[in-house]
Amino acid sequence: MTAQLPAPSVAGTEEPPSAVLEVTDLEVHYGLRRRRRQALHGVSLSVAPGETVGVIGETGSGKSTFARAVLGLVRASAGRIVIGGHDVSAYGNRQWRGLRRRGVVQYVFQDPLRSLDPDLTIGESLAEPLLVHGVPRDEAAERARAFLPRVRLSDELLDRLPGELSGGQRQRVAVARALVTEPRLVILDEPVSALDSANRVQVLEILRELRATGVALVFISHDLGSVAGIADRIAVLHQGELVEVGPARDVITRPQHLYTRLLVSSAPTLRTASADREERKALRALLHA
Amino acid sequence: MTTLSEKTKSTATDRTPSAPPVLAVSDVHISDRVTDREIVHGVTFDLTPGTSVGIVGESGSGKTLTCRAALGILPPHFEVSDGSIEIGGTDIKTLTPQQWTALRGATISAVFQDPASYLNPSIRVGPQIAEVIHIKKGLNRRQARHRAVELLQATQLREPELVYSQYTHELSGGMLQRVLIAAAIAADPQVLIADEATTALDVTVQAEILDLFADLRERTGLALVVVSHDLAVVAQMCDKVLVMRQGSVVEHGPTHTVLNAPQHEYTRLLIAEHEQYGLEKFRTPQEAS
Amino acid sequence: MMRRILSLTSGRIALGVLTVIALLALFGPLLAPQDPLATSGHTLANPSSAHLLGTDNLGRDVLSRLLDGSRVSVAGALEVASTALVVGAIPGILSVYLGRAFEWVTLRLADTLVALPFLLFAVAVIALLGNGLTQAMLVTGALVSPLFYRVSRAATLAVARSQYVEAALISGASIGWVVRRHVWAKVLPSIAVALAQTIGVGFIIVSSLTFLGIGIQPPKPTWGGLLASDLGYLSYQPWAPLVPALLIMVTVWAANLLADTLRDVSGEAGRALINNRKAHTDRRGKSDLVTSGGAR
Repeated sequence: MTAQLPAPSVAGTEEPPSAVLEVTDLEVHYGLRRRRRQALHGVSLSVAPGETVGVIGETGSGKSTFARAVLGLVRASAGRIVIGGHDVSAYGNRQWRGLRRRGVVQYVFQDPLRSLDPDLTIGESLAEPLLVHGVPRDEAAERARAFLPRVRLSDELLDRLPGELSGGQRQRVAVARALVTEPRLVILDEPVSALDSANRVQVLEILRELRATGVALVFISHDLGSVAGIADRIAVLHQGELVEVGPARDVITRPQHLYTRLLVSSAPTLRTASADREERKALRALLHA
Repeated sequence: MTTLSEKTKSTATDRTPSAPPVLAVSDVHISDRVTDREIVHGVTFDLTPGTSVGIVGESGSGKTLTCRAALGILPPHFEVSDGSIEIGGTDIKTLTPQQWTALRGATISAVFQDPASYLNPSIRVGPQIAEVIHIKKGLNRRQARHRAVELLQATQLREPELVYSQYTHELSGGMLQRVLIAAAIAADPQVLIADEATTALDVTVQAEILDLFADLRERTGLALVVVSHDLAVVAQMCDKVLVMRQGSVVEHGPTHTVLNAPQHEYTRLLIAEHEQYGLEKFRTPQEAS
Repeated sequence: MMRRILSLTSGRIALGVLTVIALLALFGPLLAPQDPLATSGHTLANPSSAHLLGTDNLGRDVLSRLLDGSRVSVAGALEVASTALVVGAIPGILSVYLGRAFEWVTLRLADTLVALPFLLFAVAVIALLGNGLTQAMLVTGALVSPLFYRVSRAATLAVARSQYVEAALISGASIGWVVRRHVWAKVLPSIAVALAQTIGVGFIIVSSLTFLGIGIQPPKPTWGGLLASDLGYLSYQPWAPLVPALLIMVTVWAANLLADTLRDVSGEAGRALINNRKAHTDRRGKSDLVTSGGAR
């Protein structure tokens, strides 16, 4: 990466970047006093370089808040967030901007229809992160277009507007845009939920291929199936708390927490054994007790 | 925790195949009058009481048009250009609008994907169900209200009285879908069509709704048509499966057969996707039925 | 943007008419064949070779008066529009980014201006500041500005919360970058539409004010003034007020037609329109469009 970037003002020591992301006891709440809502409570998670961590959460679990806190779009009420060795817990707007311009963290949105400016061409949208970093226009365009094959899109799409692409294509453009600054960590919030089966698989394959490049992925979703396909580890969020974390295989085949057990038994499977209806009923009763 | 699949229990023919079908779709072709193009090319299936048929397909496969034809609600310029549909033995071509009105809700009913859009947001949900009962069953207002609460309870809502008096914006997606299911079964139909009814719901909520459908099937002999893009959902719920692609049925048969010995490559593709990017790969071989 | 407008027939017509009006405004006074203020004995004469549009009640050449008055009338309308634009649109965009206090203050200011009865307020301010066209136009502009404020604020808000703006912020973009690259292009169509409409309104306002005798004083001619004085002689020269009335009407119509065209080529519908036409001409292989390809 050749960008000339302003160094972020880091308060305190820089830790050796063993973990790309280190979240410790994160608390986020909204509102004041009586109308206070706790979105996240005591969440701790670390992501190693090149690792893919799946964060499973349903509606109200706080998974989007988690993503936004790590990106600096939402202020944490308590706890520590360390990204690539920088402690961002107390960062202000300007410091965040500085860190973002280093291109360390990127984000892929859920909705492929809205995450691209409808009046800019694909080429322009792709180059934007680099342009923001101060890279000259031609170089930015050149570097951006190099990422298209990574997401299995052809050059001829560069001059098109988002409205001319399908949902699957747009989502792949969004993934490519997240990669042009060669980040160390990419957070994806339900990246395949709005896609049909074929596109879903294609994007998941692309994400799997990304591991070879050493980028760490945090894949947030409510769909256990998609996550199971590519995650090394799985973390389960339930009502603002991290109830279980572990290697993907363990979490799915030997879930410990009640909620995880319900989640796993709720996921519809093909011909292999699915848990009894009765078992689910029992788990639900226990959970709501 | 692993038990035998429900399907192995139910493939025993305790459902009498000789019972007359409540819904008979015979070689139905649907065409667009405006463009003069055939959209659905020949769909056939029979639905006997207490059984369920699943239709798997992506958007554009024709699955929704087929359902709408069976409900008599095809979009203005679409028509059944060939084949026939019989509900309870009556060819729908012979039905007058009044007969259709009598039929809908009482014999054949449906729930769709976005529950909130089927309810009036400025009226409490309870009276909207009561209205259906009042009209269809001829009960007076007080009786209809009582019955509505009973139905809400039958859909496993935990506080049916409370939900009765709530507005749509106060209810979650899963609760709204239950309200609509209550309205759909209010007149004791014989057939319920669920068109992507759980697609927009969280995994655990989806499992609750699917379990509810299975319960209703067992308790009341309700026949189900389950339409989904997710092969696993259909596999879990249905005795028979139709796989549709671009208007044609590419494969059909008993679920067990279609899943274990798929004939068409599209079916194989759908299965392979689940095996690569779903929970299937974590199931050990001895758990497979 | 201009190419898109020119690609529609309505756009070409509107711009054509407005160009003619603009030329009239620029060169009108120079083209007047006779001294617009010169009175003569031939009062209320019919059109003749000497007086193409006849004369008014004081024997002045109507055509010359019309041409002479066009600059002032058009300039007045433009003044109203530009004042409203500057006083309204800029605070509108900024109100989204400069914090709660600024937002509150500007919102209440806009509300206040809307609540004031326009003509009364204009007359009152004139009484304070003295009678002159510029004062009248500035006041009018200020009173019309809430439209621009609301329109540009709404357009900015719609963009400010969009995902692609968030994506830019996550990449490290500053507010200035976001406004320049994403917000401005989206806000411009709305502002342009408001502008086109305000020019039309501006003409009517100039005309009504001169009709009432505010702003320009006789004998200096304006279109509204001509309309006012000629109407008094309706029974003698029934069609004398016709020409100034037509001029005002045509200009207002063209301005509104332009506004409609702008709306048609903007936003979601606009992109779809352009895409459809592009596909249509691609299929046909020939083009009746002024533009050469490109949906921008």
